[in-house]
Amino acid sequence: MKFSLGLWLAMCLAGLQFVTVTIIVSSSYVSSERVLLDHARSLLSDVAANTIAHSKGFLDPARGAAELAARLAQHKIVASDNSQLLERLLFQQLQSAPQFAGVFYGDQGGNFVYVRRSEGPTPFASKIIARDQDERQTNLIWRANDYEIVTQQPDPNDTYDPRTRPWYQSAERQEGSIWTNPYIFFTSQSPGITIAAPVFQDNEALQGVVGVDIEISAISDFLADLKIGESGVALIINRNGDVIAHPQQDLLKAANDDGTFRFVGIDEIGDLVAREAFGHLADRGEVNVTQQLSTEFTYDGADYVSTVVPVISEELPWTIAVYAPKEDFVGALTASRTQEIWIAALIAVLTGLVGLMIANQIHKPVRAFAVRAALISQGELDPSEPTPKTYRELDRANDALTNEILQRKNSEREYGLTFDLASRGMVQFDPETGRFLRTNPKFSEILGYSENELLTKTTTDLTHPDDPGLLPDLHKHAGEEQTFSAEKRCIRKDGEPIWVSINGIVVRDDQDKPLHAVATVDDITQNMHAEAQIRKLSRDLSHLARGEMLGQMAAGLAHELNQPLTAITQNVDAALITAEDEFDENHEIIQILKDLDMQSHRAGDIIKALRGFARKGEEWKSPFDIKELISQSLRLVQAEASEHGVKFSFTSDDLPDVLGIRVQIAQVIVNLLRNAIDAISESGDNQKKVTLNAVRIDNCIQVSVEDTGPGIDPNIDLFTQFETSKSDGMGLGLSICRSIVEAGGGSMWLDESTEKGARFCFTVPVA
Amino acid sequence: MVPTETTVYIIDDDDDIRSSLSRALGKRGFQVATFDSAAAFLNVCDPEKPGCIILDQGMPGMTGLELQQELVTKRVDLPVIFITGHGGVPESVQAMKAGAIDFLEKPFRTDILVERIDAAFEGLFENRKASEKTRGARRKLASLTPREKEIVDMMVADPSKTSSKDLARSLDISPRTVEHHRARILEKLQIKSVVELIDLAIVANSS
Repeated sequence: MKFSLGLWLAMCLAGLQFVTVTIIVSSSYVSSERVLLDHARSLLSDVAANTIAHSKGFLDPARGAAELAARLAQHKIVASDNSQLLERLLFQQLQSAPQFAGVFYGDQGGNFVYVRRSEGPTPFASKIIARDQDERQTNLIWRANDYEIVTQQPDPNDTYDPRTRPWYQSAERQEGSIWTNPYIFFTSQSPGITIAAPVFQDNEALQGVVGVDIEISAISDFLADLKIGESGVALIINRNGDVIAHPQQDLLKAANDDGTFRFVGIDEIGDLVAREAFGHLADRGEVNVTQQLSTEFTYDGADYVSTVVPVISEELPWTIAVYAPKEDFVGALTASRTQEIWIAALIAVLTGLVGLMIANQIHKPVRAFAVRAALISQGELDPSEPTPKTYRELDRANDALTNEILQRKNSEREYGLTFDLASRGMVQFDPETGRFLRTNPKFSEILGYSENELLTKTTTDLTHPDDPGLLPDLHKHAGEEQTFSAEKRCIRKDGEPIWVSINGIVVRDDQDKPLHAVATVDDITQNMHAEAQIRKLSRDLSHLARGEMLGQMAAGLAHELNQPLTAITQNVDAALITAEDEFDENHEIIQILKDLDMQSHRAGDIIKALRGFARKGEEWKSPFDIKELISQSLRLVQAEASEHGVKFSFTSDDLPDVLGIRVQIAQVIVNLLRNAIDAISESGDNQKKVTLNAVRIDNCIQVSVEDTGPGIDPNIDLFTQFETSKSDGMGLGLSICRSIVEAGGGSMWLDESTEKGARFCFTVPVA
Repeated sequence: MVPTETTVYIIDDDDDIRSSLSRALGKRGFQVATFDSAAAFLNVCDPEKPGCIILDQGMPGMTGLELQQELVTKRVDLPVIFITGHGGVPESVQAMKAGAIDFLEKPFRTDILVERIDAAFEGLFENRKASEKTRGARRKLASLTPREKEIVDMMVADPSKTSSKDLARSLDISPRTVEHHRARILEKLQIKSVVELIDLAIVANSS
């Protein structure tokens, strides 16, 4: 597809402006957004690190307290079997850190001392289980801040045994301090965690286990206080998938069937965004994040960024997960983006308009040049007119173009004149449909149609129905210059068939597609007739020449044969006389010699008959005996007749001499005889006979030759055939025979009254 | 009927024709001599000896027609029968005009040739007999004196004026003298009448 130069320039200039502005705007937008997002991710990472640090700081005192208590017990600094001292020690530990919910010690004997914070009536409460043999005594004590006992009472229904608790068994099994999974404390219904450390005797046997309960709701409070963008959230997920810290603490708990509580899993948490972002972490039953991972996701039409940080430590297998809406970071940017796009569009439009003006300015001389070229081409402007002010390059092109146009117009004029004034018919036609595009007066003259009539016709309309196919075969010669020529019959407007000779060429465009065909057309009807006449004469002459040559040969041959024949006849005569002296007249040798005599004279007669045709000096009319001529002719073809088993019979009255050219009449007779023999031999009929008859009718002698052959097909006009169907022998065509007879003043015809076979008759004038 | 002293001369360049024809004619009692060319015949030709020439028209060297012409020029009166391999009408016409007996096309029947030979000899002998009479008459006329010869010529020139008076007036001499000459003439010529005299003069004047 081709655009004008002006459009190209406008499109290029405006398009370039637009593309540039767009690239700059979008690039700055993308890069600033990326910076902000990077910032967001690092913020999330910082939050995570902060959370980890805070959690560790929160839990580490508990470990210190537990291990200290365990060491004190182990080294018998505190007698573990003195429950009052033990309670006091544990009480001091409890007070050392506000996050401690309770401190306790259980031993192998099932004794248990437990000090905890209380919601009321006093700030602290203790539970002491003492066993002696199978007896056990449980005492509950409520104490004030200063360790004063406010009230105490036994609990006879208590069945608690520390040795059956998971923290005890884990520490015993691990032989070191253990952290339990976070859980919801039964008493306070707050989330918490327990650390337990074993106490060994000197012989390294387990003496008991010290434990510290830590409330971790403080971690959630910490998370709630964190400022992560506008509305970012950080949460902590335990390895088992439980969410153990979340800014909204009420989302953490779920009630069990027995009235107790448990943590919700990350995949069931009420924070739907967190569930969407991190729910997949628990898909395999265990949250296992090995490295920090930042991702982006979409929930409910809003874009979010998120970061997960691997577990804090093996003892605290907690994963920190942080997410925040993108909008918190790039919201301002998005707001300014619309404004930027509008500005960019405005700039693009303005620069496009400027580009159009520049393009128009550049294009103007070119357009003027194109208009001028078109006007010159259509002949509405003289090429010699001064050219409009354009570029130097176009000036040169203009010169070349003007020159070319002048030459083309000249050659077109010459072509047009040649076409119209040509003495030969000329046509232009569509090579595919054959429709005429242009014709000249001579062509109209040849075909008898006016030019306007011809322009509504195709070549097929004009060609003779027996001679179709004037169109050139376009497929055969694709790729090369294609000429075509033919001699065809056409039908004139008046219905007259004529012969034309066509010579043409197919004109193709650059893509090898045929444009039109140009052809010259000549009326060669006269030539064709003349050629046919010449061919006929040529054939006639060759026949005559053949006859003449054979005649000369026959004459020479006759002379040569006559010499030995004469010797034979004379010797036979001498022999006969000799034999007659010696033998009886009926002796076989005499009969043989007489036969010999007869046959040799017969041979002589044949040669004489042959010579009759070749006698010189008989090319003029002279009187002769036609019966003798017929007899000689019969002898001449006797051999041929015998070969085919054909018998002759000749009858005639006493006839006067006829006047004619003897040798020619002889040729006519021989020709008829040979035709008859051929016809009979082809027929295969048993009765093979040729009957000749000569009678006088008025002043003519009529000779008839009748055969017993198959007869003549009535559809064939024998006398107008160009030549005889036979190519051998001395025979002439029947048409020549008729010419000879008619030249001599007679006539020749085929007697069609015969029922069987053919009967040819001819007449010769009486002398 | 043919005298034995006659000869048939066969002139033909074809050996086979000469031998076969001489054999055939020999068998029929003719005395035959053969020549392979016209020149060979002319070398030995005896015009006085009665004979008949059988002549081939187409021969190398002198043709048959040329030989015939030569014989006419030499006043040889031997009859000629032409035989020819390709008898052209013009040649046959020329031959017949020059006195040929016939112009036979080869091959011919021996009987026909023999007929022609017989006719030729008959004619020859008649000619020869006539020639003899003429020579006798001429011899007798040669014995006359010039005046006697003059009188004979006048009588032959105008047989209606043979009387002595007519002759005396023409010669401007006396009738008596004319009578005398006439008597001498009849005596010398051994004849008895003027009619015989005119007949003798005609014979003598014939060729």
